[in-house]
Amino acid sequence: MRIIVQNAKCQGHARCAAHAPHIFKLDDAGYILPGNIQVVEGEELTASRGVRSCPERALEIDGEPSSTG
Amino acid sequence: MAKNPVPDHVPPEMVRDFSLFTSPGMSPTPNGDPHAAVACVHAGPPIFYSPLNTRDGRGTWVITRASDQRRVLQDTETFSSHRNIFASALGESWPMIPLELDPPSHGAFRSLLNPLLSPKRVSVLEPAVRERAIRLIDGIAASGTSCDVMKDFAFPFTVHIFLHLLGLPDDRIDTFVGWARDLLHGDDTKRPPAARTIVSFIDELAAARREDLVDDFMTFIVQAQVEGRRLTKQEVRGVGVLVFVAGLDTVAAAIGFDLAYLARNLKDQELLRSEPNRIVLAAEELLRAYPTVQLIRVATKDIDFEGAPIRKGDYVSCATMIANRDPTEFECPNTVDLAREDNRHATFGYGPHRCLGSHLARREIVIGLEEWLSRIPAFRIKNGTAPITSGGHVFGIENLILDWS
Ligand code: SF4
Repeated sequence: MRIIVQNAKCQGHARCAAHAPHIFKLDDAGYILPGNIQVVEGEELTASRGVRSCPERALEIDGEPSSTG
Repeated sequence: MAKNPVPDHVPPEMVRDFSLFTSPGMSPTPNGDPHAAVACVHAGPPIFYSPLNTRDGRGTWVITRASDQRRVLQDTETFSSHRNIFASALGESWPMIPLELDPPSHGAFRSLLNPLLSPKRVSVLEPAVRERAIRLIDGIAASGTSCDVMKDFAFPFTVHIFLHLLGLPDDRIDTFVGWARDLLHGDDTKRPPAARTIVSFIDELAAARREDLVDDFMTFIVQAQVEGRRLTKQEVRGVGVLVFVAGLDTVAAAIGFDLAYLARNLKDQELLRSEPNRIVLAAEELLRAYPTVQLIRVATKDIDFEGAPIRKGDYVSCATMIANRDPTEFECPNTVDLAREDNRHATFGYGPHRCLGSHLARREIVIGLEEWLSRIPAFRIKNGTAPITSGGHVFGIENLILDWS
């Protein structure tokens, strides 16, 4: 699974990192770092939670729809 | 006679009898539920016009869907945040910074201030926040089986943290809370003097820090640079006033609404007490259910929005309490479900102006609930008392008397 990061939309809510700090890395001000994120197997559920918790909808799951709905 | 609050370009059929200031449940009401009172707008259209929907009696367009609010708040080119709300109470015109600046000038100030309240910085502040909560609650528990949560806990807790941040001693808590109350909840005779008092306080503090540098927020601001230059006096004031006003009222109100909910819902209270690791998620749901502010933007050009003819200069309201009860965004929005996931609420706003203090506010609420629930046994609203709630510019709750005898 891959997560597309739209940095222009990120406003630093840090909700993604609150769910999974090891997947969603923030800069010192609390905004997500540039670059799409490749999610390793076994981390899909946590990652998709992080994606769904972004108030700005700055994160998007690319590829297969997550099995968790 | 008052000016007609409905401009000619607004089609009469788009006008609704609704206001965060004057609708039923918005004036101080014993045992009121102002959040539920505004949720009724979801039976209507996605946008309508509401006369008298600001503190100074102006009309606004009201955006009822969370997704449309996101669109408005993310589009700072069409919907400006430049309103001079505070200064206009004084008959002056200067922005609170960064709230009332738009991109691109907003960005420089935002980058300056973000690190001061970033998630990392907040985790450094956390031990002091927790210690403060524990000290207050231990004091309350030792002195009886009842207290007024607002007076004895919520305000002293949140205001102390904010004073600590600004680098001020906390023996003036009552004074500052009084100023904030007059400013945010006072009438036309109280507001301007309160605003003036706050401005001179901030100006004097800035002047003192220019003379004598100490390790605090104001010193940082007077020394800071944006775009390669120092801030002007007016900019320093704009930042100081915003931090002052934002820090005094909102988090205390949130803690009050949250504890009032738990006092009325003993099962949820017990759940969080026995499984404190649920509090972080639960706090998110309480933030969704009980947000405190209405965000207003000014249209910078004519635009048709979901069938509404918004004209340049019109006010557009994104009330967080309305977005958070939107049934197209949240399942059963009027039910408080402490286990709710995917909780993308609007409480801290959307777009570049996302609440600068959101990370701190969140931690204060979580820590406040954690320490309260671990130290105070099953509590209810004291018999014969009724918390008074109100709508308006900042939703609030007064006199929450809890009892655990
Ligand atoms: S939740 Fe969204 S807005 Fe917040 S830091 Fe993550 S990507 Fe950015």
